[in-house]
Amino acid sequence: MDSEDDMHDANDVDSYEEDYYSGDAMYSEDEDDAGYEFLHNDSDDSDDVLVSRQQKNYTILKEDDILQRQEDDITTICSVLSISRDSACMLLRRYNWNVSNVHEAWFANEDKVRKAVGLLDKTEFKPPKAGELPCGICFESYPLDKTSSAACGHPFCNTCWTAYISTSINDGPGCLTLRCPIPSCGAAVGVNMVNMLTSDEDKKKYRRYLLRSYIEDNRKTKWCPAPGCDFAIEFDLGSGSYDVTCHCSYSFCWNCTEEAHRPVDCETVSKWIMKNSAESENMNWILANSKPCPKCKRPIEKNQGCMHMTCNPPCKYEFCWLCLGQWSDHGERTGGFYACNRYESAKQEGAYDESERRREMAKNSLERYTHYYERWATNQSSRQKALADLHQMQTVHLAKLSEKQCQPETQLKFIIEAWLQIVECRRVLKWTYAYGYYLPEHELAKRQFFEYLQGEAEAGLERLHQCAEKELHTYLNDDASQDAFNNFRTKLAGLTSVTRNYFENLVRALENGLSDVDAHGASSKTSSSKNAAGTSKSKGTKGKGSNKVGTTSRTDDSTGWACDQCTYMNPKNATSCQMCNNGR
Amino acid sequence: MQASRARLFKEYKEVQREKVADPDIQLVCDDSNIFKWTALIKGPSETPYEGGVFQLAFSVPEQYPLQPPQVRFLTKIFHPNVHFKTGEICLDILKNAWSPAWTLQSVCRAIIALMAHPEPDSPLNCDSGNLLRSGDVRGFQSMAKMYTRLAAMPKKG
Ligand SMILES: [Zn+2]
Ligand SMILES: [Zn+2]
Ligand SMILES: [Zn+2]
Ligand SMILES: [Zn+2]
Ligand SMILES: [Zn+2]
Ligand SMILES: [Zn+2]
Ligand SMILES: [Zn+2]
Repeated sequence: MDSEDDMHDANDVDSYEEDYYSGDAMYSEDEDDAGYEFLHNDSDDSDDVLVSRQQKNYTILKEDDILQRQEDDITTICSVLSISRDSACMLLRRYNWNVSNVHEAWFANEDKVRKAVGLLDKTEFKPPKAGELPCGICFESYPLDKTSSAACGHPFCNTCWTAYISTSINDGPGCLTLRCPIPSCGAAVGVNMVNMLTSDEDKKKYRRYLLRSYIEDNRKTKWCPAPGCDFAIEFDLGSGSYDVTCHCSYSFCWNCTEEAHRPVDCETVSKWIMKNSAESENMNWILANSKPCPKCKRPIEKNQGCMHMTCNPPCKYEFCWLCLGQWSDHGERTGGFYACNRYESAKQEGAYDESERRREMAKNSLERYTHYYERWATNQSSRQKALADLHQMQTVHLAKLSEKQCQPETQLKFIIEAWLQIVECRRVLKWTYAYGYYLPEHELAKRQFFEYLQGEAEAGLERLHQCAEKELHTYLNDDASQDAFNNFRTKLAGLTSVTRNYFENLVRALENGLSDVDAHGASSKTSSSKNAAGTSKSKGTKGKGSNKVGTTSRTDDSTGWACDQCTYMNPKNATSCQMCNNGR
Repeated sequence: MQASRARLFKEYKEVQREKVADPDIQLVCDDSNIFKWTALIKGPSETPYEGGVFQLAFSVPEQYPLQPPQVRFLTKIFHPNVHFKTGEICLDILKNAWSPAWTLQSVCRAIIALMAHPEPDSPLNCDSGNLLRSGDVRGFQSMAKMYTRLAAMPKKG
């Protein structure tokens, strides 16, 4: 982090606060990093659940937009290459709807391109001026006006054409590259013939394939993966963050099409999802907690501390958990019933070591996984709940509150802001648990820094969520004073802003691969490294705040100062924190 | 159904006329079912199948000629693209490269061409495919010849 970043940081917050209170749209021109926070939607007619985020590096396309773009691209190709719309469409499809690739290929070697796509510039077959022609499919003869042909001129009767094209359309998207039925010919059959010769239903199917091809074959566009959603997203390749939010409110990663997972990378997400679905963990659990009975081979679970195992009826075989030897053999000779030194001595000799060690490891790794998974899943369901609450707020409570407090709904936007922040933070927090799971145990400094940031962010979020959920309810139900409500407004807006700061720190740090630690590595060695995974929830924020692991650079900045207690970025001239009143 | 029947009838009449024209192929329609055909084809010369006569069975779908006929060898043949037990044939025009302009007659011609030019890279008969791919042409030919003699030639005496 250099000071320039911090300056932008401060600017962002400032511009946010200003815009926020004035109720204006808050797209600030000089904002240089892709906006991670939710922004106001300035179109009031939108009833989307989520206010759309800054749409800088992607565009959401409706079906009409897609058709329009397709038409425009076709028009461009036909005028530049002086070919028919039909041919232009086939060319574009062949080159994945990339206009400049079509130009390039065409002007490099027109003949080759024509051949590959099946655009003949002369006919193969010259029909007679009058009389009848034999159809190449049904072998009957027809008057000229009952036959049709592609550019090649090979005649087939209209009935056979209809059946031929329809069969292909109903076979799938391969119909987009349909050729003349004569095997050696290869002349393309395009949308013109489809429109001339097929039923309305088939035409519709064909157009759908053409539309899908425009999105699916194009490197820059993808369908929104939400079930039932018909929007597509066009993404500016190489423009940073892959997270996009569709008009349907679904946020997803444009790169891997999993749900949005910033700041965690796609690879980690796919590993994590595979891990969650793999049954192998269950197998490990059984391996860790059970052994086969030495007599009947059924798995026996060890759920007590004692090593004396008794198999289930009818077997009832009694054996020692450690050495799997018969229990009656145990006693004086093995160093007492409860101290199997067979095991101890064998362990020293290395005989049992391997399998026992594997069992131990599996058990530990399962516990570790369970720890992260639980927190991941909890935040997931917490986010779902928050989404539902947000919706409820927008559709029911806001109007009610507006009546109760005699304030226009536009003045209550801070509540929606808070809920949007909660939803987004739950999402980020959830993914940080997948991140934490894959963060190597031995990178102690990084782990510590990560858990510190995660803990801060989580604590902030819990305060915000609590305030938005519980405290708000009192204003919904009771007639609170104007003053009390204004205090509530200040508190909730403040918590929203503070929590946003925490999460921005967290996201930035994870996206940097926690590289700040390398610079500040020494300082993190001071505290104990024993508390491994995820004690973050129990960590208090107060004491830790003065630890300044990795965040030290924020305080020595000349444009402002970060509060030690809540990390809020205060202007230079403020003597105490504007957010929590903590002294500088 | 009607269209496929009409088309098959056309092919039937054509076959009657062409019988002399293509001495290597003898297509016969089943007496009671125009959707069942058999063919006798001569093994192409200068191949291990030379001198053999191979019987093919055609089963024509109702969507013919929009859908391809199903064809298999009834006569045992040792060939990389023919399943040794079932006689199933791996040939693109009988699958995704089918065109309604093909006829039963032209399918027979394509199969004769396949006998002369095996494609060991899409084998249905792994043994013979492996022999060819490993470059053991003589090994392949002697096996193919043996089966031609055993299965595709009239027993002497
Ligand atoms: Zn026809
Ligand atoms: Zn043609
Ligand atoms: Zn969507
Ligand atoms: Zn991704
Ligand atoms: Zn037992
Ligand atoms: Zn023991
Ligand atoms: Zn503060």
